Amino acid sequence: MKNIEKYRNAFMDALELEEEDVSEELALGETREWDSLGHMILISTMEDVFDVSIDAEWMTEFDSYKAGKELLNRLGVDFVNE
Amino acid sequence: MTFISIEFLLFFAGIVFTYYLIPHKWRWILLLAASYSFYATLSGYFVLLLLTSTVFTYFTGILIEKQDTKQQKKRAMLVGICVLLFFLGWFKYFNFVNDSIRAISTYMNWNYAIPYQEIILPLAISFYTFQAVSYLVDISRGKQKAERHYGYFSIYFAFFPQLVAGPIERAKKLLPQFKVEQTLNYDNISYGMKRIAWGFFKKTLIADRLAPIVASVYDSPDPTGSQIVLATILFSVQLYADFSALSDIAIGCARMLGIKLTENFKQPHFATSIGDFWNRWHITLSTWLRDYIFMPLCKGKKKRSEIYVAIIITFLISGIWHGAAWTFVLWGLIHGFYRAFGDHTKHFRGKMATFIHLDQVPSLHKWLQIATTFLLVCFSRVFFRSDSVTAAFENAQHFLSPSSWNPSGIIGAFEMFSLLDLVIFSFFFIVMQLFHYIERKNTSTWNWLSQRPAVARFAVYVLIVVSVLVFGATGQGFVYGGF
Repeated sequence: MKNIEKYRNAFMDALELEEEDVSEELALGETREWDSLGHMILISTMEDVFDVSIDAEWMTEFDSYKAGKELLNRLGVDFVNE
Repeated sequence: MTFISIEFLLFFAGIVFTYYLIPHKWRWILLLAASYSFYATLSGYFVLLLLTSTVFTYFTGILIEKQDTKQQKKRAMLVGICVLLFFLGWFKYFNFVNDSIRAISTYMNWNYAIPYQEIILPLAISFYTFQAVSYLVDISRGKQKAERHYGYFSIYFAFFPQLVAGPIERAKKLLPQFKVEQTLNYDNISYGMKRIAWGFFKKTLIADRLAPIVASVYDSPDPTGSQIVLATILFSVQLYADFSALSDIAIGCARMLGIKLTENFKQPHFATSIGDFWNRWHITLSTWLRDYIFMPLCKGKKKRSEIYVAIIITFLISGIWHGAAWTFVLWGLIHGFYRAFGDHTKHFRGKMATFIHLDQVPSLHKWLQIATTFLLVCFSRVFFRSDSVTAAFENAQHFLSPSSWNPSGIIGAFEMFSLLDLVIFSFFFIVMQLFHYIERKNTSTWNWLSQRPAVARFAVYVLIVVSVLVFGATGQGFVYGGF
């Protein structure tokens, strides 16, 4: 499975979203599923799926679908050349 | 020498004058001498403990940094934290644990021989221990370099404006500011003086005027339900005015030295939920607990129920941090329960608001949320204020009893004020609320004031200073000063 698919699936698993609900526009606090506690579950899921460690100060950076990809990219997860 | 004293103002004026007079390279010595002198006047015997904790944390920080692997760093950090928590535990929690075990032993008919120990709580130990823990954790995580300059490091530990009751600062923010050469700046001096004056205003005209009135009810052997309701609401106002005043004075003093401390309050009694309340009350403690307790506890958790457990543990620690008594443990648990319950029922409450069309009147909805949150916070403060668990449950029963909320009973309870006290308190309470109102509309009342004509501006400053001098009540210590 490609990283981008793993990434989308992580959103669906952690936030209990349907496939069509996961879009580039998804952002923290703008849907009832992605609230502050849902965010903690999402971070844990991302850490497990991509085997990375997301520090407390980075957690606040992960505030949208796009920002999450950028952060994971900095942590070595390649979404383009895989 | 407490913050609210002429001695402190003279002492501080002397420090500011000397600070800008001497070269930057000597200023750390002045700040350190001032910090230790200030602490010595409050808790002389324990300067040695402060010094020991500082030396220990300084060398442990360097030791952690020198470790090769993450695992070794973590091990060194844990040893360091255990030692710091041993100091805190010994002085703050020994008798709490000892008494609790003795009570259980008596109940179970066990033989328990360790007697009560006369242990005095060193002032500010909770605050500087938390700063030390965050320093060691940040070094171990690679977010902070171990400070090699012992002088600067010691000031981070003992900086006198915020030593007694915070704000709890991170080394990453505070240490670099000590190293930068601060120049005499009109804006800093002016802003600092205004914040200090505002702190004096809240402390002497709100908090200390309410303290004896609240105490007259909570120390009474048989208060009425309405008295408990009114005294608890007043205690919430007192606690806010007291603690935020302390932060105002700390922030103001530091600013006069060119140092920016973190804001600790954002009008918490206007919070729309318990989560929001903790984003506005004692912010530096809340963020400390979030970063060093809650988030590590959340690692690997993928169910809401598991996150709820982490929330409750975090609030339990917050309660124990506030005081070594079961009343504080219960207070922390109540907030943990509020937060978890609030999250669990969020969607249902949202649906209810839609069902009764409340969400179509957003301002009414918001004010109902604010009132509900305030009353929930007030209920928890029955436990914060009561002297024992038995008294807390009795007072809580009073607070929850519908008859205690009878308007005629509440009006009658105002007899705890003398007429003069009531008029004075009401006037200054309205002034404080006006200040808050402008703040909510303009983000900074001080900036808003600076845009008013000079006469209006100075009238406000004179009102603040003269009110403190004429009507200010003193003599009560800071509630958070004891933590």
